[in-house]
Amino acid sequence: MSTPPQETPRAAAPRRGPLRRLRQASRTERREWLFAGCLLLPALTMLALFVAYPFARGIWLSGLDSTLGREGDYVGLRNYVKLWYDSIFRRTAQNTFVYTAIATLLKLALGMAVALMLNMLVSFKRLLRASLLLPWIIPTVLSTLAWKWMFDPTFSILNWIVFHLGFVNARVDWLGGPVAAMVSVVLVNVWRGMPFFAITLLAGLQTISPDIQEAAAIDGANAWQRFWRVTWPLLMPVTMVVMLFSVIQTFADFQLVYILTGGGPANSTHLFATYAYQIGIQTGKLGEGAAASLAMFPFLFLVVIFQLWYIRRGEVR
Amino acid sequence: MSGQRARQTAGIPRRTFLKAAAGTAALTGIPGILAAGQAPAYAKGTKLHYLMQLHFVPATDKVFMDQAAEFGKQMGVEIQVERIGQNDVPTRAAAAVEMKSGPDLIQIQNNFPHLLADGAVDVGDIAEAIGKAQGGYYDLPKANAFSAGRWVAVPHDVLSWAWNYRESWLREVGYEKFPDTWEGFREMGKKLKAKGRPVGCAFGHSTNDPNNYCYALTWGFGGYEVEKDGKTVVLDKKGTLEALTLNTAMWKEAMDEGGLSWDDASNNRAFLSGSISVTGNSPSIYPVARDKFPDVYQDMNHAPMPKGPAGRFYQLPTVSVMVMKHCKEPKLAKEFIRYFMAKERYEKWFETADTFAIPPTKIWYDHPVWVKDRKNVVFRDVIKDARWPGYAGPASRKASEAMAKYILVDMYAKAIQGASPAEALKWAAGELRKIYGA
Amino acid sequence: MVAGAWWKRWLCLYLPLAAVVVLTLFPFYYMAVTAVRPDREMYIPWNRPNFAPFWTAHPTLEHFALLFRETLFARWLVNTLLIALGSTAISLFCGLLAAYALARLRFPGGGAMGTGIFVTYLVPQTLLFIPLGEVIRTFRLADSPWALILTYPTFLIPFCTWLMMGYFRTIPRELEECAQIDGATRLQAMVRIVFPVAMPGILSAGIFAFTLSWNEFLYALVFLSSAGQKTIPVGVVSELVRGDTFFWGPLMAGALLGSIPVAFVYSFFVEQYVSAMTGAVKG
Repeated sequence: MSTPPQETPRAAAPRRGPLRRLRQASRTERREWLFAGCLLLPALTMLALFVAYPFARGIWLSGLDSTLGREGDYVGLRNYVKLWYDSIFRRTAQNTFVYTAIATLLKLALGMAVALMLNMLVSFKRLLRASLLLPWIIPTVLSTLAWKWMFDPTFSILNWIVFHLGFVNARVDWLGGPVAAMVSVVLVNVWRGMPFFAITLLAGLQTISPDIQEAAAIDGANAWQRFWRVTWPLLMPVTMVVMLFSVIQTFADFQLVYILTGGGPANSTHLFATYAYQIGIQTGKLGEGAAASLAMFPFLFLVVIFQLWYIRRGEVR
Repeated sequence: MSGQRARQTAGIPRRTFLKAAAGTAALTGIPGILAAGQAPAYAKGTKLHYLMQLHFVPATDKVFMDQAAEFGKQMGVEIQVERIGQNDVPTRAAAAVEMKSGPDLIQIQNNFPHLLADGAVDVGDIAEAIGKAQGGYYDLPKANAFSAGRWVAVPHDVLSWAWNYRESWLREVGYEKFPDTWEGFREMGKKLKAKGRPVGCAFGHSTNDPNNYCYALTWGFGGYEVEKDGKTVVLDKKGTLEALTLNTAMWKEAMDEGGLSWDDASNNRAFLSGSISVTGNSPSIYPVARDKFPDVYQDMNHAPMPKGPAGRFYQLPTVSVMVMKHCKEPKLAKEFIRYFMAKERYEKWFETADTFAIPPTKIWYDHPVWVKDRKNVVFRDVIKDARWPGYAGPASRKASEAMAKYILVDMYAKAIQGASPAEALKWAAGELRKIYGA
Repeated sequence: MVAGAWWKRWLCLYLPLAAVVVLTLFPFYYMAVTAVRPDREMYIPWNRPNFAPFWTAHPTLEHFALLFRETLFARWLVNTLLIALGSTAISLFCGLLAAYALARLRFPGGGAMGTGIFVTYLVPQTLLFIPLGEVIRTFRLADSPWALILTYPTFLIPFCTWLMMGYFRTIPRELEECAQIDGATRLQAMVRIVFPVAMPGILSAGIFAFTLSWNEFLYALVFLSSAGQKTIPVGVVSELVRGDTFFWGPLMAGALLGSIPVAFVYSFFVEQYVSAMTGAVKG
């Protein structure tokens, strides 16, 4: 994807504060600002109306010892301190990182492979693309229930398959052991999220001109080199955006774990969102629940800042 | 008297009618108004929103909805009954309490009324009246609806629970009767598993079956979460350790090793399919077997919980009804509860539930529904030995928290997964101390 | 491209692709089998000889019938569709304009604003649906489709904005500069020149936004209460998961009917449109 050289706002106005810029701006500049303001207005209004209050309220709640129906008193950071010493929360944090890292990498690798293969395909491309999108379209709750049925220790079709393929000689308890349960949860997440990667990356691939590939081939690069030296860098901006969304969605995943395992067995699959739900809703400790649910914010924020920085850097170049 | 009421009485059997008459005498208020044919004093458009979980026995929902519609017609108000999945009720209830809007009445499971107490109206007047008219409450349903000195909910029913087993398969390994002690239970399980038909127990994060089994087993060996004071954690004592050791041994010797991931539904299916021979459950397997699995139906029976050194105990799921503080017509809401809990209407509901639901009050103990099918008789007695989470202390918010976090279930699961019983116990006691110490 | 011998093409392309497709679609196949499987055949353990993994002896449509007879499935389908369309339209509109401003116009604080919009995407839903509920109550939207049509954009707008910023950046600036030289205003250049070129991007953002709102569960569960107002995910789960007895047949039937129409529409209409547009632009 070739990005035309452009100046970022910062580069355009070095060392000038916004107010100062406002005063010094020319008429055309001001008109452009006004236009930008008008364009941004609908989005900002919607977000201000519906996100600002819940978010502020959530942060405030995390500093209270409130329970359902009772506002409670201000306790500072005590909820966070309590979480820090909570063995289940530590387990949860560890689970979330493992889950996000493995699932995202798998989705990226698989999605990339599928996108490359689809791009090479001449016929059936449209049909395959549509059918690969199915796991992403089906309501998560329902597909997860279907997986739960496929993982059922007694009726598992998956057991039948791996048994008859000769991989195992006893049943696999897909959601029973701590490792097995995590593997199964990751598997479902990858199944569900891979199409998003594949299709978005495919769209990116289609914008890369075949000429570049051919030129590289003539220069004697083999397929592997062509991918790493040509395709991968060109695809980077799209990949980063897709990764960004995927990391956030995976990190904050709720439905999948809630339905498959409820965080069990023995908390080995709890994620931030499910544990926050357990504390906040099922034990009614709203303050602590808000703290648990906001505890993932700094991590996410770091990830986002890094990725946004990376995306912007690519643009400036 | 209106024609409506005449039609209603014509439709019900005589015995029911007699009881209905008695109920009317005992509960003054709405029935009196109805009898006098007075116009209800509610503004047009008055609406009550009742949130409940889908009942496991679908026919009971029909009975309830009809009664709600009837009440609405008589009072000239609209009753909106909303039914959702069991696991989603707490979410909705929490949102309703915090938003101070939403359903006016919420039917909720287990000890949730303790957690939602701040959003609920005191319903002591009708709870007491119903208890008085119907022979008094059992301990468990009261414990789950009575929080910090006041009735925050009206007990509606208790879900019965017992061991389901295959008679012929037990006979094959030499048991004419279901064992009455935990040691006997273990022996039986060993022999059954050797035949490839193990005992099925759930240890996943699921509200009913895992908790029912784990609490009952712990109590049976004299293990308790806390002392009577409701503060001192005493879980890490000999009793719990014995229960934990026994269960860990049974897991390998006697149980279906898929149970770690089982939820409330898994054992139903496993039992119906014939892959396990014994499992603890509400009578939701039995009716399904009757309709769809005749060979299982013929062969199955129910048995009570084995006795431990400390005795026989049950942990049972309960259902209670709360009137929310944001309800604009709390009086009407209470009248509605009084209406469907009145003997003649409650009886119809309870009969339809077919031993699945145990009434919270004692008057129903001799009801013919219990002896209609000899295999279901056991269900009527389980309530007598039922305790509440947090026993020997009082039921409380903290006990609810311990249950919602699955501390006890996870303790057993950890031991199964390879932690030593002592280690698992230490973890659980530590978690409980954090909860009760806070 | 995989050049050379035919077997190389099979080994590197067709076989792995076939494997991926089979693995991806297998759950759907299994849902379909379960949806037509009578209850009697449902409960056969996997290790029994009569376990029929890939077919069913006596297929039945009773589960589908039950879905339409005893639940308001058709109604939920319409609700879900309207809500998803409404919220996607709002989000696309807001996101499109915002993305254009952030990607194309120079104004103070633009970068920060872009990040700010993105950060709202991080707001954790699991608990903050409660304060959001208070907002819904204040605006008197509870139990109406508007509760969802207006709240889904909270996570769709950041999504659309960022996705489309990416697409706008791939469009050469010269295109609109030419138009402006020809006398078009900035607004005209944006609407007439840039938006049509960005159409594939807009549509793909729209499709993903649509599927996200199609899938949403928590808000739909909390903000809607009448049976006739519910969406497919909430309706199906509310009616068919009864404590310890799951109605697997109808559940799977509902899952299939809740996803296949969308895939169908997607493959037959949107794809045509996208490829037509891309072709036109590139050609």
